[in-house]
Amino acid sequence: MTDVCRHDVIIVGGGAAGLRAAIAAVEADPEISVALVSKVYPMRSHTVSAEGGAAAVARDEDSLEMHGYDTVKGSDFLGDQNVIEYFVEEAPKELTRLEHWGCPWSRNEDGSVATRAFGGMTTKRTWYATDKVGFHMLHTLFQHSMRFDRIVRYDEHFVTRLLVDDGNVRGVSALDIRSGEVRAILGRSVILATGGAGKIFPFTTNGRIKTGDGMALAAAAGVPLKDMEFVQYHPTGLPGTGILITEASRGEGGLLKNSEGDRFLVTYDYGVGKKAELGPRDMISRAVVQEIEAGRGISGPYGEFVHLDLTHIGREKLEARLPFVLELARTYAGVDPLTEPIPIRPVVHYMMGGVDTDIDGATSLPGLYAAGETACGSLNGANRLGSNSLTECLVFGARAAQHAVLYSRGSSEGNESALLAQAEAEAARVSALRRHKKGSEKISTIRRELNTTMEEGCGVYREQASMLATVQTVASLQDRASDLRVSDDSMVFNTEVIAALEMKNMVDVAQAVSVSAAARLESRGAHTCRDFSSRDDENFMHHTLCYLEAGGPRLDKKSVHLGHWEPEERKY
Amino acid sequence: MSRAAHPDAMSPAEPGRTRTAPPQKPASWPSHPRMRVYTLFGWTGVLYLLIGFGLLETAWSLGQGEVVWDAKLASFSHPAYVAFHLLCLVSVVFVAVRFFRLFPKSQPARIGPAKPPPRPVILAGLYAVWLGVTALFVAILSGAIFS
Amino acid sequence: MSLGTKKFVITRFDPDRDTEPRTEEYEIPVQSDWKVLDAINFIKDEIDGSLSYRWSCRMAVCGSCGMMVNGEPKLTCKTALSSYGDSLTIEPLANFPTIRDLVVEMDGFMDKFQKVKPWIIQAKERAVEEGPQHQSPEDLQAFKQFSMCINCTLCYSACPVVATDPEFLGPAAIALGHRYNMDSRDEGADERNAVFRGEGTIFSCSYANECSEVCPKNVDPAGAVNQAKFNAVVDWASSFVVKREKE
Repeated sequence: MTDVCRHDVIIVGGGAAGLRAAIAAVEADPEISVALVSKVYPMRSHTVSAEGGAAAVARDEDSLEMHGYDTVKGSDFLGDQNVIEYFVEEAPKELTRLEHWGCPWSRNEDGSVATRAFGGMTTKRTWYATDKVGFHMLHTLFQHSMRFDRIVRYDEHFVTRLLVDDGNVRGVSALDIRSGEVRAILGRSVILATGGAGKIFPFTTNGRIKTGDGMALAAAAGVPLKDMEFVQYHPTGLPGTGILITEASRGEGGLLKNSEGDRFLVTYDYGVGKKAELGPRDMISRAVVQEIEAGRGISGPYGEFVHLDLTHIGREKLEARLPFVLELARTYAGVDPLTEPIPIRPVVHYMMGGVDTDIDGATSLPGLYAAGETACGSLNGANRLGSNSLTECLVFGARAAQHAVLYSRGSSEGNESALLAQAEAEAARVSALRRHKKGSEKISTIRRELNTTMEEGCGVYREQASMLATVQTVASLQDRASDLRVSDDSMVFNTEVIAALEMKNMVDVAQAVSVSAAARLESRGAHTCRDFSSRDDENFMHHTLCYLEAGGPRLDKKSVHLGHWEPEERKY
Repeated sequence: MSRAAHPDAMSPAEPGRTRTAPPQKPASWPSHPRMRVYTLFGWTGVLYLLIGFGLLETAWSLGQGEVVWDAKLASFSHPAYVAFHLLCLVSVVFVAVRFFRLFPKSQPARIGPAKPPPRPVILAGLYAVWLGVTALFVAILSGAIFS
Repeated sequence: MSLGTKKFVITRFDPDRDTEPRTEEYEIPVQSDWKVLDAINFIKDEIDGSLSYRWSCRMAVCGSCGMMVNGEPKLTCKTALSSYGDSLTIEPLANFPTIRDLVVEMDGFMDKFQKVKPWIIQAKERAVEEGPQHQSPEDLQAFKQFSMCINCTLCYSACPVVATDPEFLGPAAIALGHRYNMDSRDEGADERNAVFRGEGTIFSCSYANECSEVCPKNVDPAGAVNQAKFNAVVDWASSFVVKREKE
């Protein structure tokens, strides 16, 4: 018999969006019972790895209008403008809340919150806490959440399915990783906040846990994934490991140089104009790839790279502003940024796409909400600006929770026996997986093949032929992933069963990415097609919706919310 | 091979959902150089205990008449007694140096507006005070002053 | 660049099968730029899928992958393999109960973590409209170092007091409480000092300094604990002059 737990609002994921949602839910209604379900302890969530900062207007020289315009231009005009307007307005409030909760924001001499320059932003509006902003935000949120005893944590519980009855989501089934048992966690609304899916790619800044679980859960429940073709490559990752070297290192004055020691963003025309190193990520990633293709890269054991030069900034400033970059470069690249340039190359960083939501975080499935990287509320459009995503987690985590609380008030508990039957079925599925010693496919092989094909088909530059090949390969991997070999048949802390469940999620998400990419016959933001090298507003000024159905993926369109800013050529 | 730590070390308030293996101490104990220093530091306590007993016994012998007291004074020059005190001197120096190494960081970040000086300055101050006090004692005991 | 092969002696424990932990040996080819975690991942991917351990960010900030490497607590994603000889012993973190293989029971730590009230306490909660508070760079510096803890719990594995006193709050939790006490925005020092005056807290620390020696993020918990001792003494002494509000 499955263990049954009852709450009002269930939040899946314990990163910035999930924790902010949990806090917002108990703030909205102190009597409410919130379940915070996460496959890791919340302080391990991948928000922890964000480095550079969180954007919100903070200075008199700045304005909401400017932040909004930068964001919409960064999105290559695919961002929903009502969402962007709401976002820029709420952003300063949310970062202020975090300040009140103890986040150690770096300060100006007069004690006010300091801001730094960031790619694609016209002025300094990125709040920071040295270069460990995600870490400090996550720990502040987690520690603040501990004061509310109405937030009940289910640490190290892996959600396997959304429990749906009568067209409403009414809970989740979660595998308790420690005991190996499947629990039915029932509630009146569910918020997905599980983050991105970088692990479908070989080189990524993302940690092991970023396997697109929330996106796959929603897709399995019939909710469309939106704009999945837009995958952000961060221009400065360490070759080999993919470890992130923050954009703040350019914000603080770092320069990109090729093998000739030349600042190629200035020498050649890559569309970033005077912004140079402070151009948006999609453009700089393309520039780096082009430099390498032009033979001006430097070769190393993990392929070609270019240099990020911080040597001129000076020890004092680097130690004060970028201590983590120093530590990472020394530990993982074996170079000392005080005296040597850091080898870098573009690396998968962020999914602009995700679970299709409206401005309230609501999905097409009643009771189901999503926030953060998992969601696609269309703040980021075709390309996200650096430092918008941490703020996004707060703004839309809070909003999704407020609406989930409202929804839960008017919702019934549903037919419990039907829900429990679904959880029982999940328990049986997990149990079968645990005994699947005879499976013919090795998890690490499928992962490697998936990674390879995603890089080939959905890299910085894409070609129609390779994208279609990737669609085929992913489809075959999807079949093969249903027969994974699981050698571990233990109940307790069976990480191989988790890896198998994650692999299924990864191939689902990879399918949505590749299918959506192959259908967008233009170049916009992070989606750059060699066969269709310009933006085509006439035919493609719309969001892509991807439904993962039993018969295969199905695509649809959704219009972009315009109105405030007219689409124009994106040039810096 | 590691040895058992306290069986309840780091166990939660409510029992876990599955059976666990009991906690072990780090296998590097006590052979790790840092642990040796820490253990040695602990053992210096025995010397101070002995010194304490010695002081008590000396005080007690004062009340036992002149003969006993003279014998007590004579015993102070016994090589074993001198060796013991030399050992104590070494131990005091060791404890002081270890303490001085750890002391600066245990200083409050500041008291009101006053911030502590940089670590090297604190250290220099500690050693200066130590040497000064030692010199003062040597001067008194050798009869150079207050005699 | 290949570094030849190395032997890994890894602790295994499955409560369903084993009465007590045992060891298993794996000999694998390793690369010169690998961290210890890379080798363990290789074993998991290519040799033995049942090996269980926690890891995620592989950049020394999520704090999941602490293990005993040759008897010392290490963050395995930050520990270079090249600094070890041909054979390594990998064990679960010391001083913690083991759930399985290299996975330790974290709930006891979470209990201790919560005890120090690690959140800003203010007599009156501030409204968003009041805007961010001012905090001088000096005020920030007073606690910044102690806010850098990634909760990897290596300090608990290194602490000789934790090994003998199950009640001991321990380095990371005390450092976190001290972090909030030192934050100029916080007004909750009285509540936390009441915790610190209890049994098994700051004065149980014998200043072995092992926590700070093994800390991968230079948080210096030993410094925090001993600063907290100083503050507690001042707090105690001043309580004779100014009466505490809550007791």
